Amino acid sequence: MNENQLGEFEEIVLLTVAILSGEAYGVGIITEIEDRLKRKVSLGAMQTVLKRLEEKKLVKSKFGDSSKIRGGKRKRLYEITASGKKIISLRKERRNSLWDAIPKVIFKFS
Amino acid sequence: MKMKPSANKPPRAALHFFRWYCNPVFLEEIEGDLLERFNYYSEKYSGKKAQWLFTKEVIQLFRPSIIGNIYHLTIKNSSIMTTQNKRLIYILALIPTLLLIPLIAMQFSNGVNWKISDFLVMGILLLGTGLLCELILRKVQSTKGRIILCVVVLFSFLLIWAELAVGIFGTPFAGS
Repeated sequence: MNENQLGEFEEIVLLTVAILSGEAYGVGIITEIEDRLKRKVSLGAMQTVLKRLEEKKLVKSKFGDSSKIRGGKRKRLYEITASGKKIISLRKERRNSLWDAIPKVIFKFS
Repeated sequence: MKMKPSANKPPRAALHFFRWYCNPVFLEEIEGDLLERFNYYSEKYSGKKAQWLFTKEVIQLFRPSIIGNIYHLTIKNSSIMTTQNKRLIYILALIPTLLLIPLIAMQFSNGVNWKISDFLVMGILLLGTGLLCELILRKVQSTKGRIILCVVVLFSFLLIWAELAVGIFGTPFAGS
């Protein structure tokens, strides 16, 4: 898959799935993003992106446990795949190369 | 997110609406997420605000990727398997109904004179044709493919029937 086919929000969700390593599910990912990035995320947007990432085979999922708080409904746990890891590593490299190319003087404020 | 289930209940209308439109494949996980979010809202805000936020989430979830194939919205019994089984029952019920036609005709006309073996052979032929058509409808996804294969099966059925009845090819099974 081409790395440019990954949107900004998709990349954030993919990174968060990697952070939560095997414990990532809809609400858990939203909470993590809201805590870390101070950004409001709706369940609709999150579920849409998760389904899209699964279609692109960047994450895989399986059913987890249920709880009273969820009305006895099971969680769907997401895990990053090898292709997912590859694409975020590639993105990181590209961004780092851009950061490295910025002249140091740009960040010198008087 | 650790919390106790709230005494406050999510709005029934919104929950029913969500259950109606959500793709059955995603229903369990997303409903669980919705209820978990509702409990979080109930702890953080007043009951009314929590209910409003729940309704807002349900509305925001109403999108093609969550609804999926609209098939489940139009079929009351959402299981495709049940639809297939219903069709099979109709096919099986159609066979004795069709066999009733010569049986009734025999009572009124001397032109129709079927023996038990004729009914048996016709029953087997109709059953085979029906089951083959059902198999095609289950396995072949494209409409064009379904039509072509079903026409081939029905045409073969008519040829075999004609051969058994009047013998158009002169095979050992040809009728007179």
